[in-house]
Amino acid sequence: MESTQLGQIPAKATTGAGQGAVDEVDLTPVRTYWQLARQRFMQHSLAVVGLIVMAILVTLALVVPTITGSLYAKTSLSLANHPPSLLNPFAPLGYDSIGMNVFIRLVKALQTSLFVGFSAVSIIVVVGITVGAIAGYVGGAVDNLLMRLVDVVLSLPSFFLIVMMVALFGTGNAIVVIVAIGIVGWTTAARLVRAEFLSLRETDFVQAARALGAGDRRIIVRHMLPAAMAPVVVAATLGIADSVVVEATLSFLSFGISPPEASLGNMLTNAQEFFYRQPILILYPGLTLILVVLAASFMGDGLRDALDPRQRVRK
Amino acid sequence: MTVHRSDRPLLEIQDLRTHFFTQDGTVKAVDGVSYEIGDGKTVGVVGESGCGKSITALSVMRLIEQPGRIVGGSVLLRGRDLLRVDDAEMRDIRGNQISMIFQEPMTSLNPVYTCGDQISEAVSLHEAVGRRQAWERAVEMLQLVGIPDPARRAKQYPHELSGGMRQRVMIAMALSTNPELLIADEPTTALDVTIQAQILELMKSLRERNRMAIMLITHDLGVIAEMADDVVVMYAGQVVEQSDADTVFAKPHHPYTTGLLASIPRLGEKRQRLEVIQGVVPNPLNLPKGCLFKRRCPHAMPVCDTPPPLQEIARGHLSRCWLTPAGEPPAVGPEATGELAEAAASALQAPA
Repeated sequence: MESTQLGQIPAKATTGAGQGAVDEVDLTPVRTYWQLARQRFMQHSLAVVGLIVMAILVTLALVVPTITGSLYAKTSLSLANHPPSLLNPFAPLGYDSIGMNVFIRLVKALQTSLFVGFSAVSIIVVVGITVGAIAGYVGGAVDNLLMRLVDVVLSLPSFFLIVMMVALFGTGNAIVVIVAIGIVGWTTAARLVRAEFLSLRETDFVQAARALGAGDRRIIVRHMLPAAMAPVVVAATLGIADSVVVEATLSFLSFGISPPEASLGNMLTNAQEFFYRQPILILYPGLTLILVVLAASFMGDGLRDALDPRQRVRK
Repeated sequence: MTVHRSDRPLLEIQDLRTHFFTQDGTVKAVDGVSYEIGDGKTVGVVGESGCGKSITALSVMRLIEQPGRIVGGSVLLRGRDLLRVDDAEMRDIRGNQISMIFQEPMTSLNPVYTCGDQISEAVSLHEAVGRRQAWERAVEMLQLVGIPDPARRAKQYPHELSGGMRQRVMIAMALSTNPELLIADEPTTALDVTIQAQILELMKSLRERNRMAIMLITHDLGVIAEMADDVVVMYAGQVVEQSDADTVFAKPHHPYTTGLLASIPRLGEKRQRLEVIQGVVPNPLNLPKGCLFKRRCPHAMPVCDTPPPLQEIARGHLSRCWLTPAGEPPAVGPEATGELAEAAASALQAPA
């Protein structure tokens, strides 16, 4: 059998004498991790739909309120209860009972909801990863302590905890709502990361990294976190949906964002008062909420499939 | 890197003891192991699963995890005791002076980074080089370990490579910093036979090129015969026989070594049944008194109730057995046993 000589590279596409099929040059182009991930994501048609819908919603939420400024809170009694009309490009969804432009208000509400959703999830992810990584990596008493803390937070009825915090620290303040959702919501992410870390800590490649002289921080950040990210990304995307719903619920119950600021929840409250006169007003924020939640969930599914490097592209 | 040549061997393991404190009791996985590895030498460490050969290696690297702990002894690398340097120094030694490759090439590479990334990381952990330089070194290393089209392979992920290729990548990573000692923990066990031969060839040629020493841990005596200068045979956490490779194969002394050699199937030999060593490895929580091998030993005798010392039976040939150097049972009788026990005690105290 031929052994490989030092410094001698077998010519490309040799007949593989001695080397066997193993070392034969495979001429398919190399695809990077992100190319592969994108390819897998794109094969998930619902996820693509979710991504497109989310992209449209985010664009709307970013662009329209910037152009219209404070118009979302402008009342005009002469326009009150003006019906929706596609002929009026400025107010396709008409005006509500106190003459506020429903479309502009809806987009502003969407902006608020998405802002709350993304910010709360950022807190959840940062806190969850930190706690989970420390617990899973250090183990022992630290792990025990942190996980009991998770148990305590989980055992409290989360929604009432949020309501309580918002009531204590200021209703109507988006930041308070975000922090409240974050404080209550990090537990799942922490558990996921911890579980991943517990198994990753024992893997050969972590051991190998240690044998190469890598320090704890490097092992955690470079070797363990990326491998633990897939479930976190999925949880985070689903967390966006959850946070948006919680914010809407809070605002619906007048604990969250209150008028004149717009939120999907307080638009629902408002619409409910005029349900008999203008039932369609409930449809707009309701449908928007459903769109946000579905888009986020589908994206979460797609990302889960895409980010797992162990999965190969299905043909 | 400067290599300090001196009279001292590269690595001296002295009376190393690594115990695992489990709920059921203390497992003495490594119990008083001593051996040394000279510059550029290959030492084969053989023994059954659980005999402590891997734990010895991990202790040298100080990679023992809870509930295990190194409770005694010293590991001198060029005279410096690795068990007493601080963590930062140890990190610097790992991967730089001592590298390690593992049994499972399928799982020893991080699945989320390309092979090139992982080798570059190993390089940049120990040398102040830029990203590009590190990458170039990675490609160079891949070429050195005989991977065709290294520039392209460097951009691939571990799952895109076969087992043999991955082990080559592991070797490239381990050698990227020119270590003086490579610890290879069953480097070919997970590979099929033809690939095994290729990897051994590769390790041999790299050994010559880099003039590095190898601690080769295996249970495959064929691999030892192929590679090793010296052989250390371990059983239940202790060294039972130690010598140069030729002596061990030609004139094994300890009955355990004899048994291991007899249990190798040979081509062209007609045998009804493969020789096996009777019995099983003793429960590490409940080791027999005296010689740890006595329950399985065909030569077991009364004197074996006294633990035999590791004594020199010929020049450079150590064995932990009461049999005389010629392989005869020792003179029996209580006085004789007493003398032997005294000899044992003094042999244990005498500096190696």
